[in-house]
Amino acid sequence: MTRKSSLLFAALGLAVVGLTGALLSSGPALAQSGAVVSAMAAGTVGEQADGYLGINGSVGADIRAEVESINIKRRAAYTDLAAKRGVTVADVAAATGCQTLANRVKQGQVYRIGTGGWQTKGSGPIALPGYCATAN
Amino acid sequence: MSQMCENGRGWGPKGPGHYALGGAAAGAALLLCGCITVKAPDKPIEINLNVKVQQEVVVRLQKDAQDLIQNNPELFPQ
Repeated sequence: MTRKSSLLFAALGLAVVGLTGALLSSGPALAQSGAVVSAMAAGTVGEQADGYLGINGSVGADIRAEVESINIKRRAAYTDLAAKRGVTVADVAAATGCQTLANRVKQGQVYRIGTGGWQTKGSGPIALPGYCATAN
Repeated sequence: MSQMCENGRGWGPKGPGHYALGGAAAGAALLLCGCITVKAPDKPIEINLNVKVQQEVVVRLQKDAQDLIQNNPELFPQ
């Protein structure tokens, strides 16, 4: 093996190490969304009719950061879909809010509709906003 | 209008030979006076459909929203 090729292999090795590091660094983000799941179970984070996650009361900085990160990604996804369908981002977000309230909020978790306060989901379905109509 | 109707009667027969013609003229005048005038409204008629349209858009997007949630589970923790 020449000196040149061994240098090349060293460079490749560094690249692989770098890539693995980048992949591993996404690990903590997943762990943090576990924190959001716990916060949702605790009633400090909940779904809102506007299609975004909201914070009920005070939470740690890590949870707040994760909620904001999720909401930014949601907004990007809503923006994509809105462009495809020729509707506003708010329409897509509201339609998604109907879905999360109707199908995803579990009993005991909190949710918020409009500017109203946080409510805890009981055993029955959530009374959806009128514009959700046939959401199910 | 009523002035015209008076005048209409004035088109009546001028001699015995003109009875039929005079009667027809009077009938036409009566028909004319029977017309109802319909005026167009001054202001345009406005119908507000914004609320309905918003609701239809949201309803139409429900399936898309379902797919969006299913395809991005990391954005929708439960």
